[in-house]
Amino acid sequence: MKIEGKQRIWMDYQKEIADDHFFYVRSCVRQNFFPGSEKTFLRILQSELQKDIYENPSHTTCSGIGYHTDIVPFETSMTMVARQFALMTEAGYENLATSCITSFGLYSEVLETWHHFPETEEKTREFLRRATGREFKKPNNVSHASDIIFKFRKEIAEKGKYRLVNKLTGQPLRIVEHIGCHYSKMFPSKGVGGAEYPYVLIGMIEEWGGEVIDYPERRHCCGFGFRQYLVRANRGFSVSCSKKKFESMEPYKPDMILTNCPGCPMFLDRWQYTISEMEGKTYGENGQGIPVLTYEELSGLVLGYNPWDLGLQVHQVPIEPLLDKIGIPCDPEMKFRGADGQDLGEPESPSYMKFYSEKS
Amino acid sequence: MSDLYNKLFEDVRFREGLKACLNCGTCTAICPAAEFYDYQPRRILDILQTKDDSQIEELLKSNTIWYCGECMSCVTRCPRGNAPGLLIQALRSLSQELGYFTESEKGRQQLAIKRTIGKWILEYGYCLFPSEIMPDMHPEQGPIWEWEHKNIEAVMNRLGANYKGTGPGILRKIPDEALDEIYRIFEVTGGISRFEKIEEFSRKKAMEMGMSMEDETNQDYMKFIYTADSGDHTRKHEN
Amino acid sequence: MSKKAIVIGGGTAGMETASQLARLGIEVDLIEKQSRLGGHLNSWDRLFPNRRDSKEVLEYLEQGLSDGISLHLNAEIEDIHKNEDGFSVAFRDGKALHSDALVIATGYEVFDARKKEEYGYGIYDNVITSVELEEFFRNNKQKNLFEGIKSRRVGIVHCVGSRDEKSGNLYCSKLCCVTGVKQAIEIKELMPDAEIFCLYMDLRMFDRHFEEMYYEAQEKWGIQFIRGRLSEAAENTDHTILIKLEDTLTGLPLKMRVDLLILLVGFVPSPETRRLAKMLGLKEGDDRFLCPADEHTITNSTMIPGVFLAGTVKGPAGIASTITDARATALQVANYLK
Repeated sequence: MKIEGKQRIWMDYQKEIADDHFFYVRSCVRQNFFPGSEKTFLRILQSELQKDIYENPSHTTCSGIGYHTDIVPFETSMTMVARQFALMTEAGYENLATSCITSFGLYSEVLETWHHFPETEEKTREFLRRATGREFKKPNNVSHASDIIFKFRKEIAEKGKYRLVNKLTGQPLRIVEHIGCHYSKMFPSKGVGGAEYPYVLIGMIEEWGGEVIDYPERRHCCGFGFRQYLVRANRGFSVSCSKKKFESMEPYKPDMILTNCPGCPMFLDRWQYTISEMEGKTYGENGQGIPVLTYEELSGLVLGYNPWDLGLQVHQVPIEPLLDKIGIPCDPEMKFRGADGQDLGEPESPSYMKFYSEKS
Repeated sequence: MSDLYNKLFEDVRFREGLKACLNCGTCTAICPAAEFYDYQPRRILDILQTKDDSQIEELLKSNTIWYCGECMSCVTRCPRGNAPGLLIQALRSLSQELGYFTESEKGRQQLAIKRTIGKWILEYGYCLFPSEIMPDMHPEQGPIWEWEHKNIEAVMNRLGANYKGTGPGILRKIPDEALDEIYRIFEVTGGISRFEKIEEFSRKKAMEMGMSMEDETNQDYMKFIYTADSGDHTRKHEN
Repeated sequence: MSKKAIVIGGGTAGMETASQLARLGIEVDLIEKQSRLGGHLNSWDRLFPNRRDSKEVLEYLEQGLSDGISLHLNAEIEDIHKNEDGFSVAFRDGKALHSDALVIATGYEVFDARKKEEYGYGIYDNVITSVELEEFFRNNKQKNLFEGIKSRRVGIVHCVGSRDEKSGNLYCSKLCCVTGVKQAIEIKELMPDAEIFCLYMDLRMFDRHFEEMYYEAQEKWGIQFIRGRLSEAAENTDHTILIKLEDTLTGLPLKMRVDLLILLVGFVPSPETRRLAKMLGLKEGDDRFLCPADEHTITNSTMIPGVFLAGTVKGPAGIASTITDARATALQVANYLK
């Protein structure tokens, strides 16, 4: 594989990412399953980069999951999006920073739809007025939180305490990057690097010392499929998609998987566990699976934050082997404890994908 | 032009998604649903292009339109600028508006989604909420979730959330005024009407099938649609 | 004073137009930006449909060039415009030429396959274009290409950069299909036990002997044809290529491993053509190729008196029809200059 070929493509898709003064909208899935990630994102932007990023407590879901399970009509989702814009306008902001990739896709889709079908924008304004009395201006810039981390990856590298290098071998960590489908598949120009070779995560990995792995199913959906996961009868589809990816990446021996969508890391993490229980098969080394991280978690590790502050303890695939490779210390005693050190017990051990119980 | 085609045409996603299909198969080649289900997005466009009422009606009542995972991989590749994923959304919307969704096993599942995701959007202002994600309904979430669920407040606190609290933060209590606004948005835009239709048509179907739909007591229908799998959704192989 | 014509472009169309004009007694300046004549003809090995050596055609065209033609090689045009007494062409090196008529024969370029990112051209070693394959045949380098190929499975991808909104080209490039079938046969000749798959949407075998070649490819050479547009190519650990398409005739998604993937790249209007056209105010179609004054009846002149078109500036065309077209252009120029 010639990397220069990909680099030429990346240069064709230069996306504008705002620089400061963000209106932050949260992600349902990330809040539920990776709360540490959203906390870390704000910490990095505010404490490390001194950026102004504001959250209005009155903001809600964009209804993305409802929209993509088709229980929520398009007009309703458009108006939910409009309400978020109204809150943004009211607070005096023009740059939207979304935590969720499905949201990012929905905001992009709504703005494009309004552009191509102006009557839908008119109607939405009317709906919003009738329902809430609110008015809105469209954002100047819509960026995903991973775009913003990408934009400031050099600053993060400069402040970084760790590099993505295997300290035992001296080699860069081999990292699989997985991009959420709704980031750029519908609108390639809205993703850094386009739809085929998105650069947003690769940029971070390269800047922080890691090595990116290409494998045949790189672009394959993780399998969330919305209704395909949410309804038990359909879950076979979801796990099969992830399994396809794992089988494809296995020969390339990745050290970890990096993601930017909130759903993908949840699935890539939990389906490894599920597959091990169903078939006895684990991926990665020593039967411990391939650790899956969000970009906020990886940024936090690079910056030297406490892994248990980042929320790495709520991953099913054990994270400690990766921490050992990088040389990041963590206190196993504190892993499953509360904020005041209280003992919260421990999760049961899976049949095959053992927890990491030894610490050197 | 058929009545159903006209109805579809009212949906901007349909107009955006169907230009003209030349049956090249690029979409099906890359579609995850086509890998695992007996499903080809190409065929959907082929049928829609005929504008034939009876074929479209059959589609709306079939399992076929419910296999898609809305990943939009098809949109990236189509050489004619079609978007099978968007057409699926338009078809699913119409299928629910007309009540056809209860005719198929996969379509009937919409009630389960409405009573979970739909309920939570209006109740919490989020699509998901930890206390609602029961480990026994989601064994695939693993022992880690079971542990987390058991200790949810402590874990949320540990990770810096503002769980059910006032003010900004992760999983905060979304103010009641905001929830009221959401409800009114759903009202004026047809969201509540959609929810009601899902319930109403499901109720009819449950009665037809001799099942109960009551929330608290006999949850036959809900359990049925949530888990029913005829095993008839994948391709038949010769050997 | 004898009438003068400038022919811009020393490829197939330019050479033949110049030859014919000279024969009609018109003074010709033939301008070519590269160091030799022939244009794309220099890239091909054997031509469809009868697989004759392209060098023979080039020889024919070269022999037609008489002493009445002033040849300007390595000539890059800076500026070109029409004035009261004809046309002025200014070159980058400062020289200038004037004429009474102008022929635009600046031809085409092939589609840059790197733009079709999901096919991995320029990224994966075993993905090449049809043009590169011709070069291999021409320079006898096919040994290098086919050496080390284990199971000898070759995929030939039709419509690369053509009939594709994503590539920005909605039109059909006409000649890639027959090129693909020709190359499939040529590869099979070299590797008789190779498995060769043509991955097509439609087979445009429109000209004389083309359909027969398709039949021969199947019946005599065992070339396999799968009706499905290639969706994606990825690289396996052993550098073989994993391709994904749908066999639309059976309605089944298909994943295959091939050792070599050949992309049939189409025609695109050359940037030089577009640049000159802009300077002269010539009309471009939606497909960015140049428009003649009338699609059916006046196909060699433009709306600008004195400016004529020959060859693939007007769209995809084969060598035989380009030579014929060039002769028609010469006639129109001669009539204009009377």
